[in-house]
Order: sequence, then C-alpha cells, then structure tokens
Amino acid sequence: MQIEKFQYDNQIVKNFIYATIIWGVVGMLAGLWVSLQLVFPSLNITQYGSFGRLRPLHTNAVIFAFVGNGIFMGVYYSLQRLCKARMYSDVLSKIHFWGWQLIIVAAAISLPMGMTSGKEYAELEWPIDIAIALIWVVFGWNMFATILKRREKHLYVAIWFYIATFITVAVLHIVNSFELPISIFKSYSWYAGVQDALVQWWYGHNAVAFFLTTPYLGLMYYYMPKAANRPVFSYKLSIIHFWALIFLYIWAGPHHLLYTALPNWVQSIGIVFSFMLIFPSWGGMINGLLTLRGAWDRVRDDVILKFFVVAVTCYGMATFEGPMLSLKNVNAVAHFTDWIVAHVHVGALGWNGMLTFGIIYWLIPRIFRTELYSKRMASQHFWLGTLGIIFYAIPMYWAGFMQSSMWKQFTDAGQLKYSFLETTINMRPFYAMRSVGGLLFIIGVILMVYNIYKTVKAGKLLANEDAEAPALEKNYVKHAGEHWHRAIERRPVKLMIFSLIVILIGGAIEMIPTFMIKSNIPTISSVKPYTPLELEGRDLYVREGCYTCHSQMIRPFRSETERYGEYSKAGEFVYDHPFQWGSKRTGPDLAREGTGNLKKTNGWHFRHFREPSSISPGSVMPAYPFLLEQQLDVSTLSNKIRAMQTLGVPYPPGYENEALGDLNKQANEIVQSLKSDSIQVAPNKEVIALIAYIQRLGKDISASKTINTNK
Amino acid sequence: MFKFIKQYAESISGIDIYPIISLSIFLIFFIVLLVYVFKMDKQRVAEISSLPLDNEAPDQSKN
Repeated sequence: MQIEKFQYDNQIVKNFIYATIIWGVVGMLAGLWVSLQLVFPSLNITQYGSFGRLRPLHTNAVIFAFVGNGIFMGVYYSLQRLCKARMYSDVLSKIHFWGWQLIIVAAAISLPMGMTSGKEYAELEWPIDIAIALIWVVFGWNMFATILKRREKHLYVAIWFYIATFITVAVLHIVNSFELPISIFKSYSWYAGVQDALVQWWYGHNAVAFFLTTPYLGLMYYYMPKAANRPVFSYKLSIIHFWALIFLYIWAGPHHLLYTALPNWVQSIGIVFSFMLIFPSWGGMINGLLTLRGAWDRVRDDVILKFFVVAVTCYGMATFEGPMLSLKNVNAVAHFTDWIVAHVHVGALGWNGMLTFGIIYWLIPRIFRTELYSKRMASQHFWLGTLGIIFYAIPMYWAGFMQSSMWKQFTDAGQLKYSFLETTINMRPFYAMRSVGGLLFIIGVILMVYNIYKTVKAGKLLANEDAEAPALEKNYVKHAGEHWHRAIERRPVKLMIFSLIVILIGGAIEMIPTFMIKSNIPTISSVKPYTPLELEGRDLYVREGCYTCHSQMIRPFRSETERYGEYSKAGEFVYDHPFQWGSKRTGPDLAREGTGNLKKTNGWHFRHFREPSSISPGSVMPAYPFLLEQQLDVSTLSNKIRAMQTLGVPYPPGYENEALGDLNKQANEIVQSLKSDSIQVAPNKEVIALIAYIQRLGKDISASKTINTNK
Repeated sequence: MFKFIKQYAESISGIDIYPIISLSIFLIFFIVLLVYVFKMDKQRVAEISSLPLDNEAPDQSKN
C-alpha cells in the first residue's frame, strides 16, 4: 500500500480561533451592555445604541460570530485529521473565512443602523442573507470535497454531525429568509402572521439545534476523546444519538408558540417531539461524560477536561430543561419571562462557551508547538466562567418565577394585584445581579485572551503540519474493485441525502397543513390592511426592535385577558409581514394597546416615547427622542404598498398612488389631536407614524365581534 | 380556544392522517435504526471509535 505524504492546514484553524476569540469578546461585551441598559435605561445612548437595536447585535454576534467561528475552527482542525487529508482547497478556506467575517461586520454595522427583518435570530436583511447562503455553500463545498478525497475509509460520527449541520442550516436559512425586497436594505417576510410565526420558530428552534448543538456535538465527539485520550464511551450510542437527535429536533419548533394562535395540533406535535428529545440529548450527554470513565482523576489536574465536563453538564441541564419547558403547564409559567433567558444562557455560556474555551486551550499549544503560557490562569478562567454562569442563571430563574407569579396574581376581590410596571421594577435587582454574572464570565474570557496571546508569542505557528497516511484503496486508473470503492465514496453524499430527507419530513408535516389552512383560515371581516401611515409606523416598530421586549400575543389565560383584553386570534395577523408576536415581555403585551382599557391618548404616547420614565416612573424602556426629530421617510411608500399587494394584502388596485395622500391626511389628524393636548409637532415626524400604528393595535377585533369562518 | 382552533383544523380534508403518518414514520425509522446499530460489527465499531486518537502528530504539549 502506498504511503502518501501531505500537510494539514493549520493556518486556517488559527484564523478561525482568532476570529472566535475576538467576536466572542465583542458579542459578550454587547450582552453585558444591553443587560446594564435594563438596569440603567439612561445607557440607551443615541438611536444606534438603544436596546432594541443592540440586543439583536448581541444575539447575532454570539450565535453566528462567536459560536459560528467556533464551529469552523473545530471543524477545520478535526475534519482534516479524521479524513487524513488537507482541506480540499486553500482558496475556498480563505473565501469562507473572510466571507464569514465580512458578513459579521455587515451585521455589526446594519443592526445598529436599524436594518432588520424583525425575525429573531434572522434579523439580517436580504443582501446579507444572500451572502450567508453563498458563504455557507462555500463551506459545504470545501467540506464535502475534503470528505470525498479522504484517506480514511470510515466516516467518524463527528463528521456526520458536521454534514447534518451543513445541510440543515442551509435548508432552514433559505426557507426562513424568503422575503420580498422593497429597497436595498428593507424587505418584507414572504409569510404572514401565523405562518410566519411557524416558519420563524421552526427556523429559530433549529438554529439552536443545528447551529448551537449538532456541530458542537460533533466537536464533543472529537475533542473529548482527544483530551481524555480514550475513545468515546459507546460508538453505537453515538449513532443512535445522531439519528434520533436530527430526526426529533426538526419537529420541536412549535413549542415556542404554545398557547398562541398557532393551530393546536401543531402545538401538540411540537410538545411530543420536544419531550422525546430528552432521550437522545441525555444519551449524548452520558456518552460524553462516560468517555471519562477511568480518567476522572485527571479532571482534577487537566483544565481542558474541566471545561469539557462543565460544558457537557450544562448541555445535559439545558436539554432536560428544554423538554420540561415544552410542557404546556410549565410553559404557561415560563414563557415571556426571564426564565427563558436563564435557560438559553446555560446553553450559550455553559455548553457553547465552555466547550469552545476548552477546545481553544487544547488547539493553540498544538498548532503553535509550545506549552500553554499559564495553566493556573486557565484554571482561574474556568472558575470565573463557572461562577459567572451560576451568578447569571440563578437570578434570572428567580426573576422569571417572580415575574410570572406577579403577572398571574389576583386580589381577593378578583382583580389583578400588580400593574405591569410594578413587576418590571421588581426585576431590576435581578437584572443587576445577572450583569455581575456576565461580568465574571467576561473577565474569565479576558484572562484567556491574555493567556493565548502569551502562548502564541512563545510559540511558532506550524502552518503546514506534515502527515502521512496510506492512500485509500482507490485508484482512479485501476478498474478492479472500482464499483465497491465508488459506493464508499458516495457514502457521505448518501448520508447527506438521508439527513436531508429526515429533516424535511418533520418540516413538511408541520408546515404543509398550516399552509393549506391559508384558504381556510377564519377570516375576520373586520380585520383590514394597515393604513399607509400605520404601515410606516409598523416598519418603525420593526426597525427599533420593539419585539425584543414587547409581545403581541395574548394567551388565553384569565390573568392575560384581564390585563390585555380578548386573547389573540389567528385571523388577526393575516396582514402582518413579518409577524411581531415577540418572545419576551420585558414590557407589557401590545396586541390590544390601541383599544379597551389599555387605550391611551396620542399625547400620552408622544410623551411616553420622548421620555418613558416621566409617564411611568421606574420604566426601563429606552427614550426615543429621535423619533420626534426625524422625518418619516416616505420615499418607498409606493414600493411598500405594491409589495404588500404582491404578498396578497388587499389594497385596491392603483392604491400605491393614493397612499401618500391618505398618509398625510391621517398624520394631520393625529397632529390636530396632539395640538389639543398642547403638543406642537410637525406631521412628517416619525413619532406620528408610530403612534398611528400603536393606536391601531387590537382595534380590528373590538370594532366587530363577529367572526366569519369561511366554511 | 380549542373549539376555535378545531374548526379550521378539521376543515382540512384528511387532516387525521397526519398524526398517523408521523407516528408510523417515527416508529419504523427507529426500529430500523436500532436493528442496524445492534447488528454492527464489533470490531469495526472499535476501529471507528478510535479514529480520533490514531493520527496524532508528535505531541509537544502536555496539557
């Protein structure tokens, strides 16, 4: 058998490690900053630094920049070794690396500018969405070509996880990003209301599954055995883990929409599959931890193993909690509260963070041919990180329970005991404690930065690492046995196709009926398209990221119908591109803000936008004085109306030419009513449009209680 | 609430086949998977599971 000599590319691994570290620091600092804004609202400095715009920056940076680069760093190192081959193309590797960093930079600029599609974790606008798809394909191409030219017959399970990640993220990203551009930086979601919500959370949940989980499980299955220097506890279990996980995960999205206007049977499917997920998840966790069987004594001395143990333990905790949160009775308590924030941070800080740090500490000395500068400092990082997670999570759990209990508390006379504002004010100490936890975590990361810097200084990068391996018994010239080899060669492709089928089954069964409903959805005759001014106001609502703190979804609980009015119906959202149901109530629900006993005067809203705390003392809402200054941009109004018509919103033909007149008329009416409240403002200011939108919320239903079902 | 949702879920013809389809796909898939896994050749499993360990370049770091 011929032994071939080749070189592993460590340069690209190094690049991705650096990117992981840099974006990690940026994303976490953004997180710390937004957490402080909830304690001190005066930290909302200028419109570019307001919470609603920075919170998406934090989530996108941590998920796609920190964890994204973390995936690539781990994959580029392990894939080459597991395939006994250099990456297929250095050029593709470079395009992938720089393309991904450019996307991140574009996100970091466009999100504070207020360019957002308004769908959580998919906020980036359409030109960036296209760039993501292209760069993702480059990654997949490079990976597959490497797998096809590998010198190792078998595909280790880590590679399966990488393949599933690639194919599923591609499908999720493309399906969820269908949007109709109306200008270079603005688009409307192709889907509306209930369907948009279903697609979004099918995406959103599986972004957690296939971006934060499966690739990291692949990394766990490679680096855990490496660090422990022993094979994985049970390879058979890892196969079951893989198939069960990707099969079940894809169905679980609707658990984000329990008790909403989403059809009940879709909710039930989501619950069942979410609950079953506990089995493969814990199978995987046990497999990871038991890999250390007989080596537990080493955990005492080996800081990398410590990081891995905490990471896998956090994975186990988060994946126990997830199925529990999917149960309707638990969800009724937890949803919209800070409990969910605690839950995701156990995953993000614990599972993704600690695993990434462990891998970085493992990789850097290897590719730089030296020893780690300070093990003691790494150990301090470990403890700061672990304490940081605890100090973060516990106050948030506490806050979540308290918030929920206060929302649901009635007096003996049968009235709601607390105003929403009172519950917010009670959250502040917990938000402050959470910031302390986050700060500890970041101090740990900064220690790592210093430690890695000193290590890199002391060593020298082995950019091209010599390796040798026997050629896989294939020879394109020889004909003997060709058929058999080809079959093996095709296996990764088969694996990809199988993974694709498996994930499409879940997606299809969930979505097709919901889309079929379109023709059967109970149209509520009183639900009318937004007026041009309301539409512009809604776009401002999206731009400012109001959905990061306000829901528009009243669940059918007495505590909610008492507070917010009639529970939300599917038919109310048919013109909402995108839907704005939200997932967190840092502020109150707004679904019926313009109606019933929630209705406020235009003057109230005007003053509230200018300085929320002057109207609601103790409010943590950012002030929006710039809305009072800036002129509403109506240059794309006719495009917007046309786009809405394309999407099926029944504006009369030719309405795009009349829209501006209607807009001005309605704006003048609002200005007049403000004048009677002794407020002088020009009708072309942004705040007028936003007031129009807020005042519209919930009005359709209260206008007429008759619901016509098209049967 | 359920009544409200039911009325349009029911109006899709053949909606009741969906849960049955999903259950059958799920069961068949897992039975096939389990059979496949338990029939795997032990030696091959051992070989594959040691894949991450066997191509280590000379290790100069000790952490």
